[in-house]
Amino acid sequence: MPVDPEKEINKIHRTLQSTQNEIGKTYYRWRKVAIEFAGEKAKPLDVALRAAEIFGKDIGKSFLPRMNWLKGEEGFLMILARSLAGLWNTEGGLATVEKGENPGELLIKCTRDPWPTWAKEYGAPMEEIALCRERMYQTILEDVSLFMNVPLKIELQKAISRGQGETVMKLSKAE
Amino acid sequence: MAKTLFEWDYSDYPGAKTYPHLFKPIQIGNLMVPNRIKYAATEDNLNGHDGFVTDAGVEYMRQRAIGVVGGLCFMQGVYMDEKRQGQGYVGQAAAWDDKFVPGLKRIADAIHEAKAVAGFQLMDCGRVGAVEADYCHGPSAIPQRLRIFKPVQEMTKDDIKAVVQQHIDAARRGVEAGFDIMEISGIVGYLVSNFISSYTNRRKDEYGGDIRGRMTAAVEIIQGVKKVCGPDIPVGIRLCAEELLDDVRGNTPEESMESYKIAEEAGADYISCTAGWQESIYPVISRDIPMGNWIHLAKRAKEHVNIPIQMAYRLFKPGLPNEKIGAGELDIWEICRSMIADPHMPKKVAEGREDEIRHCVACNLCLARLFRDAPMTCYINPVCAHEWQEEFANPKPAEEEKEVMIVGAGPAGLECAYMAARRGHEVHVYDKRDVVGGTLNEAKNAPYGDDELWTCVEYQQVMCEKAGVTFHLGTEVTGDLIEEEMPDTVVLATGPVYSKIEAPGGDSDKIVNLLDVMSGKTGVGETVVVYGNRKPGIGCALHLAKLGKKVTIVGREKSAGFDVNPSFKWRYMIYMRQNGITVYNDCDIEEVTDEGVIARSYDGVRWPIKCDTVVISDRGPNESLKKVVQSEGIELFVIGDALIPRNLSSAVHDGYRIGIRL
Repeated sequence: MPVDPEKEINKIHRTLQSTQNEIGKTYYRWRKVAIEFAGEKAKPLDVALRAAEIFGKDIGKSFLPRMNWLKGEEGFLMILARSLAGLWNTEGGLATVEKGENPGELLIKCTRDPWPTWAKEYGAPMEEIALCRERMYQTILEDVSLFMNVPLKIELQKAISRGQGETVMKLSKAE
Repeated sequence: MAKTLFEWDYSDYPGAKTYPHLFKPIQIGNLMVPNRIKYAATEDNLNGHDGFVTDAGVEYMRQRAIGVVGGLCFMQGVYMDEKRQGQGYVGQAAAWDDKFVPGLKRIADAIHEAKAVAGFQLMDCGRVGAVEADYCHGPSAIPQRLRIFKPVQEMTKDDIKAVVQQHIDAARRGVEAGFDIMEISGIVGYLVSNFISSYTNRRKDEYGGDIRGRMTAAVEIIQGVKKVCGPDIPVGIRLCAEELLDDVRGNTPEESMESYKIAEEAGADYISCTAGWQESIYPVISRDIPMGNWIHLAKRAKEHVNIPIQMAYRLFKPGLPNEKIGAGELDIWEICRSMIADPHMPKKVAEGREDEIRHCVACNLCLARLFRDAPMTCYINPVCAHEWQEEFANPKPAEEEKEVMIVGAGPAGLECAYMAARRGHEVHVYDKRDVVGGTLNEAKNAPYGDDELWTCVEYQQVMCEKAGVTFHLGTEVTGDLIEEEMPDTVVLATGPVYSKIEAPGGDSDKIVNLLDVMSGKTGVGETVVVYGNRKPGIGCALHLAKLGKKVTIVGREKSAGFDVNPSFKWRYMIYMRQNGITVYNDCDIEEVTDEGVIARSYDGVRWPIKCDTVVISDRGPNESLKKVVQSEGIELFVIGDALIPRNLSSAVHDGYRIGIRL
């Protein structure tokens, strides 16, 4: 039977979207559990940020085998920035890397992000998303910095919390 | 006057004439070693999980000691701390207490019984240690690149002093156990190398800084061990000549050579020269690396220090080390995996029996096993780690002589044949091909060193001839032939049956068999789909890609190379990427069309792949002749791929196990 490309691509696309959807929803289900276990005194944002740190620590470990200094500092930073953007894309975002204004600066720009929609669905503040992503990336960079002996930092430059427009993070060497 | 432990005269050994430089004595410290051969310390996971030496470990070493014909024979490196942070392998021998000395003495005695020089190695595994603990230790807490290793705890100055003392105490125990030469392991990611490398040592105190600072711990260990060993026991160190860690800002080659000079200044009596770490992204010792690839590092080392230089690393045959020793570019030929594959390898060289050597095929299965907490085994040597089991290693002659018909002269059949013949059976090997080797005739044509696999067949053929096996090549075994010969036993080693594509278009002219492609009997088009993502499919895909074909692999296994050990599999993954081979795992061919094939993933997604040719590499067991043999009431064994298609190792091991049972 001949292949109907439209049908097959549609099938893959639907599977991808439902998988990404499930990733987001699973996160918010666990967020509820974690906040409940943390007790009334705990702030939900603190719980979410702690989760971001734990995720970042684990994801950072998986970054290390890919880190490579053979192309020098610039090449290394580009590999790292692309890995961070790639992570965002895997989670349903649409992120790209651009050079920043100054040498050694790279901008990770995300123009589409489904996370605010999921946050809304589960009654979580949308503002939390950008803060959590920033914290997760910062934690990833802790191990990478130590591993490569290069102090690195990442800062949130711009966040459109409602999922429209653009979220921008700047990756650079920490002085 | 240097001390000689055992007198050896090689004048009657033919190999000493062919390779004169290998059989010349050499002075190391105040010790005279009769030849230039060394079995290098190799972990084997054969000791108890409490660190005590076992019978298996002793007999393993005894055979290697016989093999070095008077040379250096080193037992595996011992860990030295009770907390087991320095233990890198579950079956690693320990020396953190005097209670281990009697067991260690058994190994020293076994080596001495073979009139060889007994070597003791001190090995704290550093950042690749703590196999039974929660944290390993190191100069700095640098995160692990590989998840299989434990998190690193940064050592305090007191910790460092304690580790230095542990080396000294363990060395004393080695001396008490009767060892003649001492070695400190400072390579591949073990603790001493962690101190030396700029990648893992970021300390600001006297144990860090420049290369001289980073060598401080090594120097303290060398000097402490020298003191406890006294003037008659030489102390050497294994050091990286190139760490191959430039991607993570490890030492430069110049810094490595500086570390050699500092070790010499500290009193080291020799240096064992190595390349690479376990975390290096470059392959060092796998089959795809040419023989002698790293020998230039020994020459470089000799240009920087005046003490003897030893080296292993893809020096599997005696010619090159003999030449380099003669040229003054190397002093001692270290052997590791080659003596796992054949413990008597250098002895056979000395005795002029090189054709009887079972050569290592550099598959790294031995390493893969160690990292997965399994006892040592060898892909090609079924006896490895079974030396202590007399009935397995040296089976008795058969109680009853049988006429044995072996169908198939591939690695399984040949292995079985010579073992059975050696035990007194009358063995006849049949094969419809007019050459021995079975499907290895084709498999050896795959690139990246697979031609080395053929050494297995060369060895087996010689052993068959010496054991008196009768060959009937070019003879296809049929039911009639079996009825006519009526042997007592039939061993079916016929190799696999190649699968068919059970789908529309499965009888297409564009479908060809892997063996025909690999032998060059059948040509292929410019675009090829290889059906099957196990090792044969990968080998074929790489072979075709090297011929300039555009290759796609479609296979049912969840990952390509599922049947290749992880220590080699990563090489194939890189080569497939480099050669532009597209791989679709976890899917099947649903249809063969005029344009190519339609693939279907496990979850039902379908897509077309254009191709001119489809090569079938998937295999199934060979059931032919089984019923005939059984109906005649003849004893029957099925081995190798005929039983279940697997790999060369399984064929050899099957053959051996049945050969000693008949």
